[in-house]
Amino acid sequence: MYYRIRHRTRYYYSAPVHESLTEVRMHPRTEGRQRCLDYQLAVTPKARVHVYRDFLGNSVHHFGVPASHNELNIMAESVVEMKDFPDTPSGLAADAWDELDAEVKRGDYWEMILPSKFSRPTPLLLELVDKLGAVRRDDPLRLLRELNTRLHDSIDYVPETTTVDSPIDDALKQRKGVCQDFAHIMIAVVRNLGIPCRYVSGYLHRSGIEHGRSRENATHAWAEALLPSLGWVGFDPTNDLLAREGHIRTAVGRDYSDVPPTRGVFKGDAATAMAVAVSVTASDHLPPELAELVLPDEQSFPHDVLALNATSDKMKEWQRAQEVQQQQ
Amino acid sequence: MLSRVADNLFWMSRYLERAEHIARIVLVHHNLELEQPEEANAGRWKRVFQSLALDPPIEDSTNSVLSQICFGVESRFSITTSIESARNNARQVREQISSEMWEQLNRLYHAVRHADHEDHNGEIEEFLIAVKEGAHLFHGLTDSTMSHGEGWQFIQLGQSLERAINTAAQLEIHYREFYREASLDSEWGPDAAGYLEWIGLLRCATAFEAFCKVHSATIDPLNVVEFLLLDAQFPHSIRFVVDTLQTALEAIGRLSPGRRVHKVQRIAGRLQAELSFTQIEEVMERGIADTMQHIRESCHEIHNCVHEAFVSYPVESALEV
Amino acid sequence: MLTQAPFQNYWYGTPWDEMFYPGGEPRAHYEPLMRVLENLPAEEIRQKKQAADLSFLHQGITFTVYGKSEGTERIFPHDLIPRILTAAEWSKIELGLTQRITALNEFLRDLYHEQRILNDGVVPRELIASCPHFRREMRGVAVPRGAYVAVAGTDLVRLPTGEFAVLEDNLRVPSGVSYMLTSRQVMKRVFPSLLRECQVRPIDHYGAALSSTLRSLAPEGRPDPVIVLLTPGVFNSAYFEHAYLARQMGIELVEGRDLLVHDNIVYMRTTSGLRRIDVIYRRIDDDFIDSLVFRSDTILGVPGLFNAYRAGNVTLANAVGTGVADDKAVYAYVPAIIKYYLDQDAILPNVETYLLSDERERSYVLENLDKLVVKAVGESGGYGMLVGPHSTKADQEEFRRRILANPRNYIAQPTLALSCAPCLVEGESIEPRHVDLRPYILFGEKVTIVPGGLTRVALRRGSLVVNSSQGGGSKDTWVLQN
Repeated sequence: MYYRIRHRTRYYYSAPVHESLTEVRMHPRTEGRQRCLDYQLAVTPKARVHVYRDFLGNSVHHFGVPASHNELNIMAESVVEMKDFPDTPSGLAADAWDELDAEVKRGDYWEMILPSKFSRPTPLLLELVDKLGAVRRDDPLRLLRELNTRLHDSIDYVPETTTVDSPIDDALKQRKGVCQDFAHIMIAVVRNLGIPCRYVSGYLHRSGIEHGRSRENATHAWAEALLPSLGWVGFDPTNDLLAREGHIRTAVGRDYSDVPPTRGVFKGDAATAMAVAVSVTASDHLPPELAELVLPDEQSFPHDVLALNATSDKMKEWQRAQEVQQQQ
Repeated sequence: MLSRVADNLFWMSRYLERAEHIARIVLVHHNLELEQPEEANAGRWKRVFQSLALDPPIEDSTNSVLSQICFGVESRFSITTSIESARNNARQVREQISSEMWEQLNRLYHAVRHADHEDHNGEIEEFLIAVKEGAHLFHGLTDSTMSHGEGWQFIQLGQSLERAINTAAQLEIHYREFYREASLDSEWGPDAAGYLEWIGLLRCATAFEAFCKVHSATIDPLNVVEFLLLDAQFPHSIRFVVDTLQTALEAIGRLSPGRRVHKVQRIAGRLQAELSFTQIEEVMERGIADTMQHIRESCHEIHNCVHEAFVSYPVESALEV
Repeated sequence: MLTQAPFQNYWYGTPWDEMFYPGGEPRAHYEPLMRVLENLPAEEIRQKKQAADLSFLHQGITFTVYGKSEGTERIFPHDLIPRILTAAEWSKIELGLTQRITALNEFLRDLYHEQRILNDGVVPRELIASCPHFRREMRGVAVPRGAYVAVAGTDLVRLPTGEFAVLEDNLRVPSGVSYMLTSRQVMKRVFPSLLRECQVRPIDHYGAALSSTLRSLAPEGRPDPVIVLLTPGVFNSAYFEHAYLARQMGIELVEGRDLLVHDNIVYMRTTSGLRRIDVIYRRIDDDFIDSLVFRSDTILGVPGLFNAYRAGNVTLANAVGTGVADDKAVYAYVPAIIKYYLDQDAILPNVETYLLSDERERSYVLENLDKLVVKAVGESGGYGMLVGPHSTKADQEEFRRRILANPRNYIAQPTLALSCAPCLVEGESIEPRHVDLRPYILFGEKVTIVPGGLTRVALRRGSLVVNSSQGGGSKDTWVLQN
C-alpha cells in the first residue's frame, strides 16, 4: 500500500512579526513495515530549511524567517510505503510478564516507563486504573487489548473539549477528549503496569475503518507498548484499534511534548491563529494525484482558535511561543 | 558596541536631561509666581505642563501642581520618574559607564526618592536646586571620567535631542502667550509683567547672564528669541544643540561603519544648515510656531532614524552586508 | 577600652584546626601570620577590617538572597584572616581535582553517546533516566575536546583526620570566583608584606586562563573566535561576577536579547551590525537557555541557540546537560566512575552518602534524621537542606514527608565535623569557625587550577552552613610556594 500525505499549516498573525523560528516534525519514519519514499517541505515566506535527528530518531526540520511577516505557510508532502501487517495474536503465553520484565531489565526503556510531562499517575488516573482493573493479570497483550477497548468506551471523543497543553486530568474529569488525551491516558495506565509505553504522532488513513471516530483533516496520535516477542505494538484507544497499515507514524516520544508537529517562537506583539489541513490518500501503486486541499478562509477560524487568541492577548512579551497543533 | 547598550545610554541621557529641564523651569516659574501679580499667574502652570507635552494639571493649587510635576508617579513623567528611568537605563549598562557616574546617578536617585513630598513650601527650592546640581555634576563626571568613545557619543546625542525638543516646545508656547507686535514699538519693550516673563524664559535656559553680555539688560523679545534659537555659542540655544547633535552623529557614523546613516545625516545636516544660515527676520516671516514645530519634527525623525540604523535594524538587512 | 590579646577568646582542640595543633601551638606555615596578628593592636585590626569592608562596598561586591518575596542585596561578608595551605597539601588537591574532572567529563561524554557505563551496570540506568538534569537533547551531540564541564567549582572539606574530601561537584554554572579574585586584591592592600614573606602563589591569572580555556573550545575553523559572557541580567544574584569576569577577559557581557540565531549561526546585535559569536560562556541554567527547546516561558535565553549548538557552529561553556554529573545521588558513584574510566582510585575521597531511593538506606536515614544532613539532589546554594543536629522536630517531620513523597530527590550524609579556622568576630576577638574550600577548575586544551580558591566560612558560631545565602562569608586562601 502507498500513501500520499499532504499536511498544510498556516499561521496568521494579528500584527507583523519577525525573526520567527519554527520546528516541524512531519517527516514519516522509516522503520519496520513503513518506509518514507519522498518528503518535501515548502515554506513561505521563503526560508532555508535545516534538519536534524532528535534523540528518538525523529527527523526535525527547522527554519527561520527574519523579515517581517503576517503569515507563515508550511506545506509538508510525503509518500509512504506500508507493507501488510501480520495478524496480531489475541494473547501471549502465560510467562509473558516475566519475559517482559527480563527484557526491560536488559534494555534501555526507562524513558518510557517513568512518568513524563503529560502522562503521569495523578490521583484521577489512579482512580481510572482501579475502575478498569488495570493490574497485572492474564498476559500483557490480552490485558492491553482489553484496556484499549475499555478506555475507548469510558471516554467520549469530543473535539475542542481540551487544548493542546491540557493535562490528562481535564479529560478524565469531563470524560471527554481528543486523541491526544486518549493516548496520554493510555500511556499513563500502561506505564503504571511497568510496561514501557510511548506516544506516537502521525496520520490515520480511514478507509476500511468503520467505527473509527477520530477526525479527518487532522493529525492523529496513539500509544505504543513494548511486548515480549512482538516488540512495540500500537494501541489506538480513540478508535478502539490496534495500529496497523492505516496508522502512519511520523514521530515517537515520551508524550506529546517531545513530538509536536510544529513548535515555534517569534518576536513581535501579535496574537496568532492557526489553521491545519491534512489529506491522506491511498493507492496500490505510486502516487497518483488524489485529493484537493482546502483551507478554511481567514474569517472563519475554528472556535477554539479564537478562544486561544483572546487569552494570548494578555501576554505582552516581545517573544512568544507559537501556537501548536493539537492532535485530534 | 552592543545595540542595547547604546540604546540604554541614549535613554539614560535623555531622561536625565528631561529631569533637569523640568527642575529648571519649575524653579523659575515657582519664583515668578511669588513675584508676579495674581492675574499674571493665571494659566502659568497650564503653559508649563503644555510645554512639557503633559496633560493639564489635575488641580490648580500650586502645591498640587508642584507635587504632581516633581514627584508624580501617575502623570506621564515627573522629575522623580525621569530620574528613576535614567537610573534604570544606567543600571542595565552599569559596566559601560564609570563608577563615578553610576554612584552620582544613584545618589541623585536616592535623594529624590527620599525627598519630603508633603511640606514643599520651604523645601521645594532646595529640592529643585539639588536636582539641577546633581544633573550638572553627572554631566561633568561623564565628560571627565568616561572615554569619549561611541557610548559617550550616544549620551551626547540623547542629551542634545531632548534639549532641542524641550527648548523648541517652550519657546513656541511662551511666544504665543507673550509676544505682541505692538510692544515692539513701545519705549520699554514689554510691559512690566511681560518683562519679567521674558527674563523668566531666559532663566529657564540659564541664559540670562549670557544674554546680557551680548544684548545688555534691555529685554527685546525678538532678541530673546534670536538668542535662544540662533546663538552659535550658548550651550542651550537650539543652534548650538543641533551642532552638538550633528557632531555626535558624525562621530558615531565613523565608529560604526557599515550602518545606513545617510538618511539621518541628511535630516540632521539640513536642520543644522537652516539654523546656521537663517536670519531672525526669516524666522519671523515663516512664523515661530511653524519653525519650532519643524525643529521638533526633525528631532523626532532623527531619533527614529538613529534607532533604526543602530538599534532595531531589521535582521535581514544586516545579514545581507 | 583595654587592648585585648587577639586570641584571648580562642578555643583549641576542635576536630581539625587549620592554624593550631590541638595544644595551641601554631602550625609551622601559620607562624608568620601568628606573629603579625599578635603584634597588631586591636585598633589597627579594626581599621584594616574597615578598610577592607569599604573596599568591597565600593566595588559593589554584593549578592542577592532569595526565598523572601523579593531578592535582597547584601554585601558579601569577608574575613580578614587568610586560610593557608602548604604546597604539599595543594599538590594533592590539584592532582585529585584533575583526576576527578577528567573522569567526570569522560562520564558525560559516555552518557550522551554510547552509555557504556550504564550498559556495564556500574551506574544504574534508572538513576540517570530519572535525573531532571539529564538532557536527552544532548544525545549524540559532539562537544569540542569533550569538555562538557569547562569550569567547575568543587566543594572540599577537611575531615578530622586532616584529609580533604569532596563534598559536592558544581558542574553547571559554579559561581564565587570573583570573590576569590577580589578578596586577594583587598588582602594585597591590607597585608602586603605578609603576602611577600609567606611567598603566596598568585591567582590573578584566572581571567587569562579562563579566556584561553574558552578560546581552546572554539568551533573548528574559527581561529580568532568571538567570545561572550551570557548573563541573565542585572537582577541575577551573581551579576556582579558576570560583569567582573567579562571585564577581566575583555569580552562583551551580553543578555539573551542581544543575541539572535539565523540559519544556525549565532549573532549579537551591535551598533555596527550583526557580529557572529563563536563561544558563549553562559551563566544561565540549561532550562532558560533556549525557549524553543527547553522552558518556553522564558525570555532570558536565545531561541534557536540549541540548534546552532547542535550544528557545531557555537560552543557553550559549560555544555548543556552537565547537571546530571553533579546530581547529589550520582555523586555517590563518582569513585566508581573514576575507577571505570581511568582505572585509578580516587585521590580525593567522597563523603559517605546514603541514597534514599534504596530501601535499606532510607529506613536507616529516617530513623536518624536528627544526626544526618539531608540534601535535595538538584538544589545548590544550601537551599532545600536539613542539618539534623541543628533542626527542630518539625523540620525533621517535614523532611520525612518530603523524602517519602520522592525518595529519589534526596540523599543523606553524616553531619561532618568541618575543620575550623580562626576568624575575626565582630571585628574584635578571634574565634574558630567552620570552613570549606572551593577551588575552580578549568578544563580545555589542558586542566588549569589556579592555586587557591574560595574559602567559605560559617560565620555563625557552631554553624556548619557556609553558603553565602545562609549567613556564610569568605576568606582569602593562600597556597604557599613551598
